[in-house]
Amino acid sequence: MTNSSSQITKSSTAEYFAKNLQQVGFSSPAKAVLTTLKEAMDNALDACEEFGILPEITVIIEKKGKGHLRHTDRIMIRVVDNGPGLTLQQVPMVFGEYLASSKFGRGRCSRGQQGIGISAATTWAVQTSATGARVITKQKNMKKALSCMVITDLKKNQGIIKEKEMTNWDREHGTSVEFLIDGRLQMNGEGGILAYLRGNILLNPHLTLKYQLPDLAPTTISRVSDIVPVIPPSLPPHPHTMKLGEFMSHARLFGRIKLSDWLERGFSRLSRPEITAIVKTSGYKASLAEQTVTSLTAEQLKKLFATIQEMDLRPPATKSVITIGEEALSLSIQRLGQIDYFSVVSRRPIICDLKPVQVEVAVARLQTKGGDSDEAVQVLRFANRVPLQFDRASCAIIKAISSVNWRAYNLKQSKGGLPSGPYIIAVSIVSPFIKFKNASKETIDASDELVEEIRAALMKAGLKLSRHLKKEHKERELESKLQHIEKFSPILVDTLCRLTNANKERRLRAENGLLKILGRDNQETVKELQAAEVKLAAHLSKQKDSLVMFNDEDKQLMHHEEELSEKPLDLEEAEPKKKTKKAPAAKKAPAAKKKKKK
Amino acid sequence: MVKYSTRKQSEITSSAIALCDRLLSELEKGRRPVLSATKCSLDNSVYTPSIGYLTPGSKRVQSELNVSSVKKISRSLFMLEILLRNVNVGGINTKRELYYISKGLLKSNPLIKPLDFDDQVESDATIDFVCEILECYREELNCFANDRGGQTYSQHLIVTETMPNGETAEIDLSRLGTSPFMPKNRPQNLTLKAKGKIDFCLVLESEGTANTLVANGITKRHPCIVVGAQGVPSNAVRGWVKRIQDQLTVPIYFFGDLDAYTLQNIYRTLKAGSASSLIRNKDFSAPDVRFLGVLPEDIKKYDLFHYDVKMNDPSEARSLKKAEDALKNDPFFRSNRNKGLVKILNWLIESRKRCEQQSFFSVDGRDPLIFEKIIIEKIKSGSYV
Ligand SMILES: Nc1ncnc2c1ncn2[C@@H]1O[C@H](COP(=O)(O)OP(=O)(O)O)[C@@H](O)[C@H]1O
Ligand SMILES: [Mg+2]
Repeated sequence: MTNSSSQITKSSTAEYFAKNLQQVGFSSPAKAVLTTLKEAMDNALDACEEFGILPEITVIIEKKGKGHLRHTDRIMIRVVDNGPGLTLQQVPMVFGEYLASSKFGRGRCSRGQQGIGISAATTWAVQTSATGARVITKQKNMKKALSCMVITDLKKNQGIIKEKEMTNWDREHGTSVEFLIDGRLQMNGEGGILAYLRGNILLNPHLTLKYQLPDLAPTTISRVSDIVPVIPPSLPPHPHTMKLGEFMSHARLFGRIKLSDWLERGFSRLSRPEITAIVKTSGYKASLAEQTVTSLTAEQLKKLFATIQEMDLRPPATKSVITIGEEALSLSIQRLGQIDYFSVVSRRPIICDLKPVQVEVAVARLQTKGGDSDEAVQVLRFANRVPLQFDRASCAIIKAISSVNWRAYNLKQSKGGLPSGPYIIAVSIVSPFIKFKNASKETIDASDELVEEIRAALMKAGLKLSRHLKKEHKERELESKLQHIEKFSPILVDTLCRLTNANKERRLRAENGLLKILGRDNQETVKELQAAEVKLAAHLSKQKDSLVMFNDEDKQLMHHEEELSEKPLDLEEAEPKKKTKKAPAAKKAPAAKKKKKK
Repeated sequence: MVKYSTRKQSEITSSAIALCDRLLSELEKGRRPVLSATKCSLDNSVYTPSIGYLTPGSKRVQSELNVSSVKKISRSLFMLEILLRNVNVGGINTKRELYYISKGLLKSNPLIKPLDFDDQVESDATIDFVCEILECYREELNCFANDRGGQTYSQHLIVTETMPNGETAEIDLSRLGTSPFMPKNRPQNLTLKAKGKIDFCLVLESEGTANTLVANGITKRHPCIVVGAQGVPSNAVRGWVKRIQDQLTVPIYFFGDLDAYTLQNIYRTLKAGSASSLIRNKDFSAPDVRFLGVLPEDIKKYDLFHYDVKMNDPSEARSLKKAEDALKNDPFFRSNRNKGLVKILNWLIESRKRCEQQSFFSVDGRDPLIFEKIIIEKIKSGSYV
């Protein structure tokens, strides 16, 4: 090593990551714990999903004394799943080898993508406490479970199995992985363990989660759905999402194949008529389509690529995104704590920045003691169902939330900021190609199109929520009136009788009379409430009718509704709204179109 | 404690019970009872020059019993019961004490717990509401505010106070040394007698200046009564001055700052009562009081120090604004009878100047009696409004 400065050394992938663990989520003791948990749990969820298993996952975290690093504790993290289990050959690769993954770059919406995470956790365990990943795993066809310790051989980028043993395990199949690492336990806050678990609870209605964490009672959250989400197969790339270089290397992947076949099979949205047109517009003879791709010159490929980029193609299909759905979200959100009410919105998948994206939103109000707090709402962000817990400032989700006028939906909000109060706002973005802002993958790139799409979802959720709020307000009013009557009637009659020295008969008559009077008030309130509900129902069904298939109209309508509900707030905002005049026309438009269609 | 209630008090008691009886009967019939009270506000104030104080017009506020008023009415009856008990046994309390009395009763009885008062503001409002529906004074229900002001000095005044038990006490103000006499509680229980002829009664806005005048010997040199109002006159001060007006035939002069606040809030209240106390102005205003100064002409005549109203000081600016309002809406200032005062208000609004009562001391810094001299000179020369 003495001369190393003058030598060029080639380090293995494993060595590279071992030196740069901070890049993959091990930048602080607190983050190390979260990342380790996250990698293990994401894998468990992915594996179950892949094999159509309803996941039942147990998370156990314990403090085991002081850590070796300064200001750390020794922390044990164990994640046990009922997934498919692993074979003896797979174990060292999965836990000890970098870039060994079954999901690499497949254009699917799975949680893990590259095969870095869990091996990094093993490396961290080796580095900080000289242990590796303790694994117990069993596949369905195995009599006994495999129990072992996996460590990483950094030089060779290989996993090494130690303490191998076959043991009895009281489950049919599954994997238990345990790490002992130096770290710090951060339970609360956006970057805390609980936020991660809550996020997973919300987005995985089919998950049963048991957890045992220090200082908390063991908790079991049962599944509210028996449907294992099916990750849709990936689709061939859409030519408009490609760069020239990608297009050229894509050509080589298919070997000796005819140009027309390559274009047809290798891409989405290119079929025979389009292909004929591409060749013709590029100025080539039709026979070019029959040549093999490998025989084409770079010049020809470039020309073809340019032509394709100029063409109008159907947008990419949205089949490749995975949806949670409003029904499942509605059930799932109630697992986040004592919730007064909530609203969920599942947008149809759309094409955003040329990639299929689906946005789903859930807003819930937590039951609180005392009045509404002025603290900002809790935001839960998700990308492909993985909770994002850091670097939120410039995230598309935060931008979208702050850009909505929540005051129109009866939430408190300072101008341009997040709304405040005991609410959770969860936004999930699913796409096989999520564009992140940086390598740590915690911030979704805030493109105008994406922010607008998230905004539309949030506004719809806000609208639904404010109806809840209004209805609840009415109901509270009614309830307090009823309580009022019950509370004060006897006192009133009592006092009057005492002051006038009235006898029993008078008292009885007065009591009845008073109940009659106040009961009449009460009936009126009930009637009012019923009328309000009928109106609301009518409004909702009308709204459903007008939310037709066209995304833009849908947006327009919501803009309109927002303007309407913003009206009372206009006093605060100086600029007069000129748009309001135009808005009714915008609202009528979809309905009018519909009639014509009929 | 001696059982004692005045004739007025037994009238109030029986009318309160009659009211309760009416409420109960209406309830028995399943009818919605309505409580009605005089509307106490400027828009229901009438000023008749021959009467001299603000009286209630015909407007009334109605509170009918319904879901939203059932609590307020229950609370009022609860408070009424306490007050009537007090009247019955001769108990006396301040509003604050009544707040704690209610709290104690409510705490010990879970059945009436829902009536509980969150703070004294709520119990005070309840007491006021009871007085409004019974059209009586708080004092008549033995509830006394801790009234401030009214310190009175004289060498020629004897006050006879009738106590709740009927006994009387005689107070000769000339025998109190440097201590003033304080007219507390119920001025109506005080009978005044002059020892010899009294020339005038002087009510000063500043109690400090009243004290200075007396210390320098004004009451020794002149047969007079000096009263310190201490700002906006309390019920005690108002009732007391009214008593002086009724029982002694002496001219009464008020002397205070030359500004809109003094004219409108202090002087008008002393002379004609206030809109919020329409039902009690009869006994709590002294229409014969005259405004001795500071007058606008005094500024020139005595070359007094004075100030421009600071328009950037919100309270001073507001005071001018209120003066403009008063000229438009206050029946007292709209009456021809008070033209002289209106002239002063207009002068204040136009000139935007103000002058403090103590500025008379600037006339001759070496003469400690200068203030007294000017006052006497003004009274003698009829320099008042
Ligand atoms: N708990 C588990 N059960 C079954 N298979 C697993 C489990 N954990 C990991 N695997 C397999 O190991 C592979 C590598 O995991 P990992 O290194 O975390 O990469 P990634 O999750 O990005 O694919 C996964 O793709 C999966 O096939
Ligand atoms: Mg993984």
